[in-house]
Amino acid sequence: MIPAALRVLAPEAVLLLAACVALFGEHIPGIRRSIAGFGAAAATIAALLVMLPHTTSSFFGSMLLVDPTASFARVAIGALTAVFLLWLAARGMGRERSREAAALVLFAALGGMLMTSANDLVTLYLALELATMPAYVLIGYARTDERGLEGTLKYYLLSLLTSLIMLFGLALLFTLSGSTAYGSLELTHAGTAGLLAAVFVAVGFLAKMSAAPFHYWAPDAYAGAPAASVAFVSSVPKVAGLVAMARLLLALSGRVPGLSLALGTAAVLSMLLGNLAAYPQTDLRRLMAYSGVAHVGYLLVALTAGSAGMSAAVYYAVAYAVPSMAIMLISAEEGVTLESLESLASRAPWKAWVSVLFFLSLIGIPPLAGFFGKLYLFGVALDAGLVPLVVFAVAMSVVSLGYYFRVVRAMFARPSAETVPAAAPSAVAASAIVVLAVATVAVGIAAGPLLAPLGFSFP
Amino acid sequence: MSWILSAIVFLPLAGALAAAMLPKESGGAAKWLAAVVAGVDLVLVAVLVAVFDVGKGMQFVTDVVWVPQAHIRYHLAVDGISITMLALSALLSFVAVLASWKVESKPSTYFAMLLLLEVGMNGVFVALDFVLFYVFWELVLVPMYFLISMWGGPRREYASLKFFLYTLFGSVFMLVGIVALFLIKGTFDITQLASAAPALLPHQQWWLFLAFFLGFAVKVPVWPLHTWLPDAHVEAPTAGSVLLAGVLLKMGTYGFIRIALPILPDAVTKGAGTLPPWQPILVVLATISIVYGAAVAFAQTDLKKLVAYSSVSHMGFVMLGIASLTPEGINGAVAVMFSHGLVTGLLFLMVGMVYERGHTRKIEDLSGLMPQVPRIGAVFALASFASLGLPGMSGFVGEFLSLLGGWQAATAKGALFSPVWVVVSAVGVLLAAAYMLWMVQRVVLGNPSRVVGAMDDMTGRELATVLPLVALTFVVGIYWSSLLRFVDPAVRALLAPFGGA
Repeated sequence: MIPAALRVLAPEAVLLLAACVALFGEHIPGIRRSIAGFGAAAATIAALLVMLPHTTSSFFGSMLLVDPTASFARVAIGALTAVFLLWLAARGMGRERSREAAALVLFAALGGMLMTSANDLVTLYLALELATMPAYVLIGYARTDERGLEGTLKYYLLSLLTSLIMLFGLALLFTLSGSTAYGSLELTHAGTAGLLAAVFVAVGFLAKMSAAPFHYWAPDAYAGAPAASVAFVSSVPKVAGLVAMARLLLALSGRVPGLSLALGTAAVLSMLLGNLAAYPQTDLRRLMAYSGVAHVGYLLVALTAGSAGMSAAVYYAVAYAVPSMAIMLISAEEGVTLESLESLASRAPWKAWVSVLFFLSLIGIPPLAGFFGKLYLFGVALDAGLVPLVVFAVAMSVVSLGYYFRVVRAMFARPSAETVPAAAPSAVAASAIVVLAVATVAVGIAAGPLLAPLGFSFP
Repeated sequence: MSWILSAIVFLPLAGALAAAMLPKESGGAAKWLAAVVAGVDLVLVAVLVAVFDVGKGMQFVTDVVWVPQAHIRYHLAVDGISITMLALSALLSFVAVLASWKVESKPSTYFAMLLLLEVGMNGVFVALDFVLFYVFWELVLVPMYFLISMWGGPRREYASLKFFLYTLFGSVFMLVGIVALFLIKGTFDITQLASAAPALLPHQQWWLFLAFFLGFAVKVPVWPLHTWLPDAHVEAPTAGSVLLAGVLLKMGTYGFIRIALPILPDAVTKGAGTLPPWQPILVVLATISIVYGAAVAFAQTDLKKLVAYSSVSHMGFVMLGIASLTPEGINGAVAVMFSHGLVTGLLFLMVGMVYERGHTRKIEDLSGLMPQVPRIGAVFALASFASLGLPGMSGFVGEFLSLLGGWQAATAKGALFSPVWVVVSAVGVLLAAAYMLWMVQRVVLGNPSRVVGAMDDMTGRELATVLPLVALTFVVGIYWSSLLRFVDPAVRALLAPFGGA
């Protein structure tokens, strides 16, 4: 009989195994060509395994807290990773080999899953690094692209810097409370040192999530990366990072005065800078980077509302990740600049129409996932009395319509004289995108069954 | 028969999906599919009207849980006001399909969009759960955006995005209001919100009314939030204009009648502390809309713009009737909504026919429709007369009742606004007569201009498109209670929060 603590980690074990197989798969006969597909299957199994019931939620001396929120996020991470790998199996990473990409993605997903259940400073940091390290490589995957490498270096250095700042904060927390467990963090009498610790941790998280004013690395890093890498890096780690950030900051927020004010400020800045800076972008990767900044702003609105905002934020993060990944996958197939996406509607009509669906969800048009995400998020925030913040957030979501529809307009522009050939059709890649489209609709319409495991209830 | 409402709402969705799936080379299949779907939907609505019991309030109720955690329900029902609007929506959707018979560019997408639009329009008028209402409310934006941006005039991209941005801007504040209302009352049910405890505090009511006002007033549109309308109308294809003016604008005034008034009565009549009551604000804005719309219509050289600004003016009468809070006024408001849907739909159809033949909408290029193309000229003239409120046609009923209601409210004891506003509004009727007759004189009468000289008269299909609208205009205009017997009981029920006026 396997002990419960190990059984609950079965999904992570599957991912680890699959990642190792992918990494060394070169030497396994018969699997070399289909590594990504194999990874997709493994991620699917991992997502299914998460759903197995378990009685307790605290494991390994409460180093891991596998509560319904964590499980919800783990299912989402597993499923999104599976869809991504399915797509990768069909399309690959351009001219580069895609085997390593599959391995890296699986490692990142493993780190992400662990992050969502981290309930201890050490677990958190290890999981965070496990999730981030593969992202460096994925961002710089096009080895011959000099501009891409510049972005990668920038991303690597900044990410390392923020990791260190966060680590310093975590160390301070440990010094002050004498424990690394979230439950026994004690800052009541810590004074300035406690404040510093909280500031460092918060800055670290905000930078990792690309929240303003620590967002500046994202557009450059994304613009230098292959669109397929952006599809993964901008979606799955966001879900994991959000859960981890919410857990630790909410554990701190009662003990550190002014933390929720700081989160609220970051929310406003992110929504403002993200939405406005997205306007002039002509590269879809940069545009989605700024749109990601804006969406982190909405997530921070929920966190500003305190622990009641947790489940709404997790739901919203998933509702953001699905269309965001899908748009970048389409972009990876059809072109990253607005120019190259022009007249997509006549090249590949269905891709243009599902893009509309994804953008509408990001704006928050019902009955799509993004709308219900915003509905719950605003409900929680209003309940916490954050009326000005909510009014600002809804106004900003109207602003976002403008730049998303610039892309739509480009897609539906009349075909110009020179026609760009459509990407070669691939049933597998198409099915990955269709799955994401169905999810965008279903997560919205079937919000009930999804919200139940999350323990969400409208205030 | 509670299934019938769901069928009416979602049949066009099935049709839209089917149309979108049609292969590119299917040619005319899409329009036949759309015509059959919209036709069957219209028949279903006709059956509904036939079996509707005017004395019974909300009927054909479907009420099941949708999202249990968030207390969102799938709640549909109709009362006399809803069924009137539903009938208008289904009728004009069918007419819009017939009017689009000659659409050549991407017909399957086009008709899918028209049918999708019908889903949203039908849904808004029968949804009684606030979130469901909002879903349908926003659903309308997307197909209309594409109808304008893909099949519109030269400035379609500007106009379509402006339409989308303006109306979304209004409606997100409505969403905040919906959520805030839920947090206070604990329900999204529109019928229960009016009665459920706890009672709303005066300042809560006032601010919530502001949120709903922004959502609804942009749609109506009330001056000064109307600037999207002329652009959208001018650039939209004919069917788009018909549905935009005929149905979409009514969603705004329907929202005031169904939601803002019954749920937030004190905001309208009492205000909150130093914040003024909304009734006089609405009356003043309505009057400005009436006079401003009419005055600007005078100056237009483009037929479509003229009709568009006349819509601003007519919707002002609806707002005046609503703001009067009297049974007469609100009956009048609903009557104007119904009549304006028929008449403006008709006017846009006629402008569309003229444009299709002459490729111009400039009033100076057009004259002598009557001698050259008598059918077009006659229907054009009839629609213009109905629009200016000629007694015996539908336009008169509502405007008369709206003004009557406004006058009653202004002269009642403790009135919140002066009768002067009603008098100024009545001048709007004169202005409407003036600009409409002047237009008829220039366009319909006289010697055929060069452009008109080359025109052919209406075809049988076109005649079939306009005749039902013309007939209904006369039926409602002559036999008022054919319409008002549905509306009146529902209006009186809605006015209960105002002391059963």
